[in-house]
Amino acid sequence: MRRKATYIFPRMGYSYAAFESFFQILGYDVITPDPSNSQTLKRGVSNSPEGMCFPFKILLGQFMKVLEENPDKYFKIVSLESYGPCRFGYYSPLYSKILKDRGLNNFEIVNVEGIYPPWYKGIPRFFKKLIKLVGWHAPWTGIRAFVIAGWKVYAIEELERKLYHLIPREKITGSTEKAFKRAFERIHHAPNKVRAVKKILAEELERMDSVEHVEDLDLPKIGLVGEAYMLMDYSNNLEIEKKLAYMGVDVDRSLWVTNWTLDRIIRAKKHLNHMSEVNKGYLDFFIGGDGQESVMNTILYKQKGFDGVIQVQPFGCLPETAAKQILSKVSKDYDIPVLSLSFDEQTGEAGFITRLEAFVDMIKERKLSKSGTREKKSTAVVSH
Amino acid sequence: MKIGIPRGLYFYVYYPMWYGFFESLGHDMVLSVPTNKTILNLGVSNAVDDICISVKVYHGHVKYLLDKKDVDYVFVPRVVSEDKYKYTCSKLAAMPDLIKSVFSKDADRILSVNMYMNQGRKPLFDAFGEIGRKLGASVKNVKKAVKEAVIYQEKATNCLRNGHNFIEVVRNIRNLDDLLDKPVKERQYKVALAGFPYDIYDSYMNGDVIKRLEEADVRVVVTDMLNPKVYKKYTKYMIKDLFWHQANVAAKGGMYYMDSPDIDGVITISSFNCGIGAIYEKLLDLYSKETGKPLMHIVVDEQTGDAGLVTRIEAFIDLIRVKKGDGLVAS
Repeated sequence: MRRKATYIFPRMGYSYAAFESFFQILGYDVITPDPSNSQTLKRGVSNSPEGMCFPFKILLGQFMKVLEENPDKYFKIVSLESYGPCRFGYYSPLYSKILKDRGLNNFEIVNVEGIYPPWYKGIPRFFKKLIKLVGWHAPWTGIRAFVIAGWKVYAIEELERKLYHLIPREKITGSTEKAFKRAFERIHHAPNKVRAVKKILAEELERMDSVEHVEDLDLPKIGLVGEAYMLMDYSNNLEIEKKLAYMGVDVDRSLWVTNWTLDRIIRAKKHLNHMSEVNKGYLDFFIGGDGQESVMNTILYKQKGFDGVIQVQPFGCLPETAAKQILSKVSKDYDIPVLSLSFDEQTGEAGFITRLEAFVDMIKERKLSKSGTREKKSTAVVSH
Repeated sequence: MKIGIPRGLYFYVYYPMWYGFFESLGHDMVLSVPTNKTILNLGVSNAVDDICISVKVYHGHVKYLLDKKDVDYVFVPRVVSEDKYKYTCSKLAAMPDLIKSVFSKDADRILSVNMYMNQGRKPLFDAFGEIGRKLGASVKNVKKAVKEAVIYQEKATNCLRNGHNFIEVVRNIRNLDDLLDKPVKERQYKVALAGFPYDIYDSYMNGDVIKRLEEADVRVVVTDMLNPKVYKKYTKYMIKDLFWHQANVAAKGGMYYMDSPDIDGVITISSFNCGIGAIYEKLLDLYSKETGKPLMHIVVDEQTGDAGLVTRIEAFIDLIRVKKGDGLVAS
């Protein structure tokens, strides 16, 4: 007997709206886990191995909460993974072992993984997994689901970029955020048609632009680099982008769902070549995760004229720790301040804000002294 | 020329090979001293703060050798892969870059090369050929040296399979044939150590766990003594192979030892913030629930005090004694 399955997927920032519609188009029930909070974290932390990376604990907690709250339903947990030096590649076997050990049996894991060698085994495995994810549908239904989800992701990211651009420039505090919330809800519940998504996006971008603001301000610019999941999910990084934006900083994030997908899957070769060219002499060897990207983006940010870089990483992340050590050299050689923030379950909000404020103050001071309005001070490099 | 070899990380796996190679080319080798307080402090002060302790210690060894002015090169290989499709962790894959980023003044004295182990002779010839070119050796001599190196590594592997641990191999590197014939002393109990060789054999870091166990009349076996063929079947339990070769050895070897009736208990040794350790420890945890074999985790960090560790080892031995019906040791 086939049981009707409900899908759950890892929630990542605002992009969950797009993933939800992906499964809805395919005709499945879907439950979005709560954003990471004390309840999910408690479950995750107490059931995962102590030294495991923070994203694993967050996701385990989120899945566990959903499974515990709906014991009568049967779930399919979608887990994206790969086979690489990052521990991300071994998430799903551990999920299934730990959840079964806790006595939860109402689930099955659908892992979508990239093609990894040996090729003759990898390619059939990839298609088998893809079919398991999408199910037996007409191919155009699957393609339509991918296209519409892609458009929604793109629309949400455009709105988010607008949001962080406008917050430091707005006249009435909070007015942009209000407009963004409305816009996001409209995209979230938009009919599943490309034309409708496009139309709503254009309308809402215009509406956000009409929020009262001063456009031509010369603000200090900070780039965010680091581990993808921590960067992209606002509940994990304690809304670092919004906080920086409210401190009066032009903030730019280096990884988005769209450019991540493009760089890692669609134009992977070009991306790798570019990366090894930029990173020459620093970290020109594949180490998995987003370690190399962190180094590359820091250098690129400097070349684009940014004033500082913040590295966001979960505590004990393998590639990011390696990148952190190399970033301190990059910071010296390229004369750009880099702040490394590592997050774990103990990260308190107050201390976090203080450190951000100190960094932003330092950046502003540097900017002033560089433009000649203040006397020159010695270079400060903040690293934790 | 004098080549410095840091006593850390893959030293504890591939030292015989490196020894054979440099010896055959006629270079002197300078080993750093076994880890001590000075080395540890050098490492901790130079490496980034949240990297694992084994890597910090390695930084210390490299710095120790770089500080010796008569050492021409320090050998810091990038061991990329140790088996087909099995690689090393990100931190180790970035090792020469990490070292060069910290000791940028001495970057020219660092001899690094990408190594692909256990995948036939060709990658070895490529890697060692590159080193040979840098050291100014002829192609013919390099070829001869690589063959020598492979023989040394094979001999060392045979010694390990016979039950000698790697410390003995390093000590008897000049006459491995004698070591091979030497019988291994059997003792009352048998305990298996699972983990990465560089955590298990670094006696300063792990409070000399091997010696302490031997003092309590326990014969110690280590996961790297096993032939990979015997634990192949455990992939099924693990659902899929781990990406890292050493973690596979630790996890599957540990499971194999848990299933063997003559082993009384398993101890895992890992370094704090290792990352991969968390995965194989969890797998062994779950497996020990099924088999009921005693299991203890020792996590090493720069603050490890000896006293706490001794108590834990004693408690573990007591547990084994009670389980076997021998009673507690009268104290």
